[in-house]
Amino acid sequence: MRPAIILRYSGLILVFDALFLAISSIISAFYSDSALLPLLYSAVISALFGVFPLIFVPAPKDISNKEGFFVVICSWLLSCLVGSLPYVLWGRDFTLTNAWFESVSGFTTTGSSIIKNIEVLPLGLLFWRSATHWIGGIGIIIFALSVLPAMGRTGMVLYRTEMSSLAMENFRRSTRETVKILAIVYTGLTVCEAIGLLACGMNWYDAVTHSFATIATGGFSPKNASIAHYQSISVEMVILVFMVLSGLHFGLLFGAVRGNVAGLWRSSIVRYYLLALAIGVIIVTFSVHGHSFPSWNEALRFAAFQVVSLGTSTGFATTDTALWPPLAKLVMIFFTLQCACAGSTSGGIKFDRIVIFWKGLLRMINKMRHPHAVIAPKIDGVVVHDDALEAGVLYITLYLGIVFVSSLILTALGVDILTAFSGSAATMGNVGPGFGMVSSMSNFSQIPDIGKWVLTVTMLLGRLEIFGLILFVTARSWR
Amino acid sequence: MGIRKKILFGFLILATMLLLAGAWSIYELRTVGSSVQRLLDDNYKSINAANSMTEALEREDSAVLLLLSGNWKQGREIIDSADRSFQVAFRIAENNVTVPGEETYIAEIQKAYRAYKELWIRPIVGTSREKNLDWYFQEAHGAFQRVKITVSRLRALNAQVMYETGTQVRDKAHRAVIPGVVAILSALIFTVIFNYFVNHYMVSPIINMTNSVQQFLKTNEPFQLEVETKDELQHLARAIGNLIAQSCKRQAS
Repeated sequence: MRPAIILRYSGLILVFDALFLAISSIISAFYSDSALLPLLYSAVISALFGVFPLIFVPAPKDISNKEGFFVVICSWLLSCLVGSLPYVLWGRDFTLTNAWFESVSGFTTTGSSIIKNIEVLPLGLLFWRSATHWIGGIGIIIFALSVLPAMGRTGMVLYRTEMSSLAMENFRRSTRETVKILAIVYTGLTVCEAIGLLACGMNWYDAVTHSFATIATGGFSPKNASIAHYQSISVEMVILVFMVLSGLHFGLLFGAVRGNVAGLWRSSIVRYYLLALAIGVIIVTFSVHGHSFPSWNEALRFAAFQVVSLGTSTGFATTDTALWPPLAKLVMIFFTLQCACAGSTSGGIKFDRIVIFWKGLLRMINKMRHPHAVIAPKIDGVVVHDDALEAGVLYITLYLGIVFVSSLILTALGVDILTAFSGSAATMGNVGPGFGMVSSMSNFSQIPDIGKWVLTVTMLLGRLEIFGLILFVTARSWR
Repeated sequence: MGIRKKILFGFLILATMLLLAGAWSIYELRTVGSSVQRLLDDNYKSINAANSMTEALEREDSAVLLLLSGNWKQGREIIDSADRSFQVAFRIAENNVTVPGEETYIAEIQKAYRAYKELWIRPIVGTSREKNLDWYFQEAHGAFQRVKITVSRLRALNAQVMYETGTQVRDKAHRAVIPGVVAILSALIFTVIFNYFVNHYMVSPIINMTNSVQQFLKTNEPFQLEVETKDELQHLARAIGNLIAQSCKRQAS
């Protein structure tokens, strides 16, 4: 492995971060707020660290799988580190732990926050906070691929590490084309949502920051009350539609934009995703009607938004779900664990794995009935091989195991069970809010410092699909 | 890019990090100094003046009670002295209007004090007001309370601004220190990376060239060395390769 190559490509990501830091500092200067110098200094540090390896390290002809893998992981970690700089430099509530938590939460598109009063923060800093979602959402690596069109096979190596293997199977396109598709869909959705929100009466700043957070399925809002601040059905509808879209496979979305809308409906994953969301909304509507909301209209409005928000791992809020009945909470915890489709920016176990799990379960039952039968489970006509089934089940088991261990640690630190479990599930699934002390209208500031570090590890494990981070930590034993 | 430029660029980056952090720290420290000065000049002076006014008012109130009880000489001495103290403190506050809204409070104090003074400037001893507790509670004490409350408001306003400025000073102090810490850590990390690059792309190729030349001298193996970077070292490797090739040709001929 060549460390210089890893430094070179990680440097490119830092340059990209520096660009967004510079934009944030321009916004800070425009509003004459106190974050100008912290943002500007962070931009300079990030740019200098990013540019230096580009000068020294010549472009390689090719890079190995292992190097590609390291570039992706190092880029995430370095971005999180650089992302925490403006917070640390700005100060106040941002201790080292809090700044790291906020930055990791941003880049992993989790949306959990430690900030008690968001609206007193400078607008430049809040813009950077939302920008970390946007950068993290598309996967920092995609930017490296965009600015390195001549990488050839290298691109494929990097891409393979970034995206879920399940999503990879769905793309069936060359890497450069895939990257282009993702970039177009991602940017297009962001622009469309921003225009939609502007049309609903939001100012440009709120529209852009909320679009960043929606398309990245992040959930950071520059308002204390999140989307509840606007008390606008039209704003909620626009965000709801884009949350659902952001939870879909981006390749399928691109196909739909190009005219192949039927392709969306032909995908059993998409059908299951939309059906599950609809069932979730119905159950929660019935559960909250009469308890939290007297009218059916209100119950449906708030239930739909909250279920879709958690079900797509976004984490925006229009009401305090901590006050909802236990059935509604349990349904939403299920969505917090499951989340949306592979190939989207959402986190969690993902529908694809849930479908594979059910197919595997059905196969096992059939095998018990007909021991000699050869049964090959299929998804959309494609046979799911045994190793994919095994990997899916292993992933789900490991995922739940990590949520359990994280909850155990938080409970040992004195956090109540509901907060510990829902907080762990919400950070592992990159959802954001949980229940109890960390509900939709609350924040993670009351979690002890060690707990915050544990939760940032779960965020990174969730974002890097568990095995990514494990392989990175055990890299020395690779052959 | 040539070696000289690469090394120069490395040092420039290091210098930029430290320079910017230093400049920022100096800027924040300077503003800390001016904020502390402002804290003392603007707020502390007004709070002090408000305290003196309150003290003088309380002495005046005691003096009014003395006059009310028929103790004319002692009462007049105290009330005149307290009035002088009040006027001095009031002038300080009047000349130190620095906070928005402070001017309104000063005007209110002046108005309320004038009304209060009118009550006790006229003779009390030997008039119908002597030993008249109803007059004291209905008029004098009420007027005294009104001035005191207005003075308290002035003090509270300055105390609030003083707290806000104090918070700003704390933030500025934080911002004066943290860039330095970040710059030192960044410079350390950068030095390690710089050292790695110098070693990997400059020192190692020279060592490899030396080894290859020595290998050629020992075993007459052909000189084969690829230098990744397109700089003086690559030119040197090619030049050595050409020299050895020419030397071999001459030997062969």
